[in-house]
Amino acid sequence: MDNQIPSEELMARVAKGDNDAFEILVNRHQTSVLSLIYRFIGDRTRAKDLAQEVFLRVWQAARSYKPQAKFTTWIYRITANLCLNELKSSRRKKWLQFLRFGDNLENTVEETLVDDTPSPEDLLLAKERSRQIANALQSLPENQRMALILKRYDGLSYQEIAKVIGCSVSAVESLLVRAKRSLQEKLKNYEK
Amino acid sequence: MKCSKVQKNLSAYQDGELKPGERDKVTMHLQDCQVCCKQYAELDRVWQTLGELQEIHPNPWFYRQVVRKIKEPREQGLLPALQHVFRLFRAPVAVSIILIIGLVAGSYLGSLLARCDLFPFQNNPLSDSGGTFFTSMRVFDPAPPGTLAEGYFRMVSYKENDSR
Repeated sequence: MDNQIPSEELMARVAKGDNDAFEILVNRHQTSVLSLIYRFIGDRTRAKDLAQEVFLRVWQAARSYKPQAKFTTWIYRITANLCLNELKSSRRKKWLQFLRFGDNLENTVEETLVDDTPSPEDLLLAKERSRQIANALQSLPENQRMALILKRYDGLSYQEIAKVIGCSVSAVESLLVRAKRSLQEKLKNYEK
Repeated sequence: MKCSKVQKNLSAYQDGELKPGERDKVTMHLQDCQVCCKQYAELDRVWQTLGELQEIHPNPWFYRQVVRKIKEPREQGLLPALQHVFRLFRAPVAVSIILIIGLVAGSYLGSLLARCDLFPFQNNPLSDSGGTFFTSMRVFDPAPPGTLAEGYFRMVSYKENDSR
């Protein structure tokens, strides 16, 4: 029954102080928010902190939320802004490191493959492949990276991506063309 | 459809963003053109490869962590306080206040300077304790009393009087 209530309606209830509605919203969107942040910044621990921050902002903005846009577009916009601010902050503090995503992948592998029993070699190979992809993603400029992640992993349309990033539809198309071209080059030797 | 136009639209075609008519034209072209087909296959390979990026899943107590974060007191840094102030005051009012503060501070500084005995060899009429606000503003004259410039002008005026 909870899944049938639109997120926009849940937000209206949250604005009136409905904690249960907020819990449904969090449970419904936590994976997508966390995944977007993790794919963008490449730091598992920081991604969890930022995901909590996203929902904190959702809670704080509940009263002023107006359902003019889809809730998902709105929450993605909050998430994208936080990600971009985090990158700027990290550059200043020099937290981001090129190989850091790979370090966090060890935990990712252990936690996401709990019920499967792949061989150690398969695990290592999956880890290495994921590391290469992550590095390629991290090498993209921020806007290209965000547009690509929103398209590839979240399935947003160009129009929705434009609203999230705050640019035109043609700009989104251009970002994706360039991002794909860069990735083609970087992942050329992927399977070798 | 020409290859150049097809290749330009391949990304949008892959993303399902072309209009139905354009999409059909591209599909038909790809069936006949090996060059464009190869290019599209490469795009598709990269797209599929991205699917191998490993995922992250939230822990079961994520909601409780969010609630805890909501309940904890927020740090009141200087920047949020400043932002709050600027939100309260509109820019023209804020500018006016800053200007008034600047004028008052400047005139106080000017009177302070006027009372200071900067040139002990000169009589400084402004150093009197009974100096007024307008008297103290004379420190901003081109040749304030007690300065070398004022001494020079006096010299020149004496010479002119002597020559007459």
